[in-house]
Amino acid sequence: MRKLPVYLLLDTSGSMSGEPIEAVKNGVQIMIGSLRQNPQAIETAFISVITFDSTAQQIIPLTDLASFQMVDIKATGVTALGDALKLVASKIDSEVAKTTTEQKGDWKPLVFIMTDGIPTDNWQAGLTEFKKRKTAFTVACAAGSGADTSILKQITDNVVSLDTADSTSIGKFFLWVTASIGVSSSKVEEAGKEVQGLNELPPPPAELNIVV
Amino acid sequence: MSETKKYIQSLFTQNQIPVKVNRSKLFEEFTNAAQNISAVNTIKENQDMLKKNWNIQNKVADIMDKQLIIPNGSVNKPYEVTLDFIKAGFNGLKYTAFEGLDKYGLCYNSETQTISGTPTESGDFKIAFQFRIEEEQNDSALNNKTISLVINADPKSLWKEIASDQDKDDAWKAANYWKPDRANDFAGLGTKHLVVASNRGRSHANVGSYRDDDYAFSFLEPVGWSIVCVADGAGSSSFSRKGSRLACDGVIEYFRDNLSAEMLDQFDIDLKQYHEGPNEEASKRISFFVYDNLSKAALYAHKKIEDFAVKTERPVKDFHSTLIFSLYKKYDFGYAILTFGVGDCPIAVINKDLTEVKLMNWLDVGEFGGGTRFITMPEIFTSDKFSTRFGFKLIDDFAYLFMMTDGIYDPKFVVEANLDKMEKWKGFIADLKGENEDNAKVNFSADNNAIANELSAWMDFWSPGNHDDRTLAVIF
Repeated sequence: MRKLPVYLLLDTSGSMSGEPIEAVKNGVQIMIGSLRQNPQAIETAFISVITFDSTAQQIIPLTDLASFQMVDIKATGVTALGDALKLVASKIDSEVAKTTTEQKGDWKPLVFIMTDGIPTDNWQAGLTEFKKRKTAFTVACAAGSGADTSILKQITDNVVSLDTADSTSIGKFFLWVTASIGVSSSKVEEAGKEVQGLNELPPPPAELNIVV
Repeated sequence: MSETKKYIQSLFTQNQIPVKVNRSKLFEEFTNAAQNISAVNTIKENQDMLKKNWNIQNKVADIMDKQLIIPNGSVNKPYEVTLDFIKAGFNGLKYTAFEGLDKYGLCYNSETQTISGTPTESGDFKIAFQFRIEEEQNDSALNNKTISLVINADPKSLWKEIASDQDKDDAWKAANYWKPDRANDFAGLGTKHLVVASNRGRSHANVGSYRDDDYAFSFLEPVGWSIVCVADGAGSSSFSRKGSRLACDGVIEYFRDNLSAEMLDQFDIDLKQYHEGPNEEASKRISFFVYDNLSKAALYAHKKIEDFAVKTERPVKDFHSTLIFSLYKKYDFGYAILTFGVGDCPIAVINKDLTEVKLMNWLDVGEFGGGTRFITMPEIFTSDKFSTRFGFKLIDDFAYLFMMTDGIYDPKFVVEANLDKMEKWKGFIADLKGENEDNAKVNFSADNNAIANELSAWMDFWSPGNHDDRTLAVIF
């Protein structure tokens, strides 16, 4: 069976502590619960969570929705976004099957990045690695005014921003991520191809500003 | 010196209460007084109790802080998990229990520390883990820790079966290109029989949308040729159900109007010569005949869709559809089979002894999927690969000629490379004849009137991630 890999890159730096990190945890929980009710998603979508603070860590390897269990995350340290990009690139290599004559490979991965700050590491080096991998699409979300959308724009064309990193806005972002994964999983099943960009995803809610 | 005296001395020293020498006798009596001995004992007991209680609460808090992960279950799937408390960092447990598991069809065995049963209900549940640690009294209140238990729904139950407007009137149906969610046919076709079924996929049923696949067949009596067409409308095109219909009808229409006995005179001679031995001239003429006539039929189907798009003022891409078709006829020296294909639907011929498979077409599949081509794309006709879309085979007889859409091919063959392997086809035929978990079987017998329904039912097989429309035509 062909997996639809979904990588969530979540900023867990110190500035996320309190309401934002709780909202992220909650958002992921609700997302998983809701995707489990979607017959197409539960059969195809596999989720991995990579957190980044002073270093990046894959806290949940690519896991099918049925067995997914969220682990606790805490906010501390700085913002090693470059490290996270490098890590997701190497995980795509090891976790996403390629198509050969003997097997049908997995679908191209979807990558969602959420950050509330400015990278504190050499993010360009991580980006160079990341760009070598093929994704169906990558969405970066700047949560609150501390994030630099111009840096995120260099990572992907699909950048959205939240005015404030409060629980309502972060909750809405995850609802939209949920809907986007749902649409992608039904598209791969019905049309046999991946969603290509923001314009094929469900319209984002009012809390999400599309950064052009 | 008595324990009581030592304790009181140390207490007084700590509190800077001096006992003068002339009071030592009085102090001696003080420390021997029953009331004071009892007071010191009580203090000591209370101190011990405090230390012990702190120790207990500390250990309980350690357990409360840690996460106990119970693997997720699924409705109707037997569940058995043995918990490893030590690994979870839960040390020194002497009593364990779970409250509320029975509501979900599960039970807990504290001897083996195993949760087992068959979950009955799906959802994100909170259950209470109750425990005592070794230091606690056997009658002490139980500690309660809330633990998450996820029970997944049975994936089959998540799919909805929403009918696609079958109750609307005929005019509405025609205007909206409606087609039945399931169609099938069984017919004698020339000297063979055809059974064909087309089922709407679960992904369409889930949202009440239409079947995009289609098929058509015909026996051209004047010339003795049989035609079978199968088409798969593109999932991403809004009116592809009409595209697939037009493509199939177009091919039948073309051959009905254009294939004449006079045209076939030379072809019949060429086939005979070809059968008798290597004959380059005959081969060339056969290739040309196949190319010439089948390409005209394909182009006719293309034009028919294009005209329809113009007429309805919609872009042609709204009608994208793949198309495969086969023509066959029995001669004294065997069967001639001619095919054309665009898209990812295979056509395969299996010989009478079930020892050889001939794949009649190659599939338009891209490296990352979604690389298929459609009959609606003008560029296929001008591509230098166009001439390779035709197939020809002269065979003594055949057991089966299979034509299918990717809704069948994807779950049953997975990759194109498997279509060349006879053992895969043997497995596929055995599957059709009942070797599957549903015991669904198709009895390939010319006098089996139930065969078309048998094929439809067989095509309901469950395959995770494969819920596309399914169409399978079998000529036998």
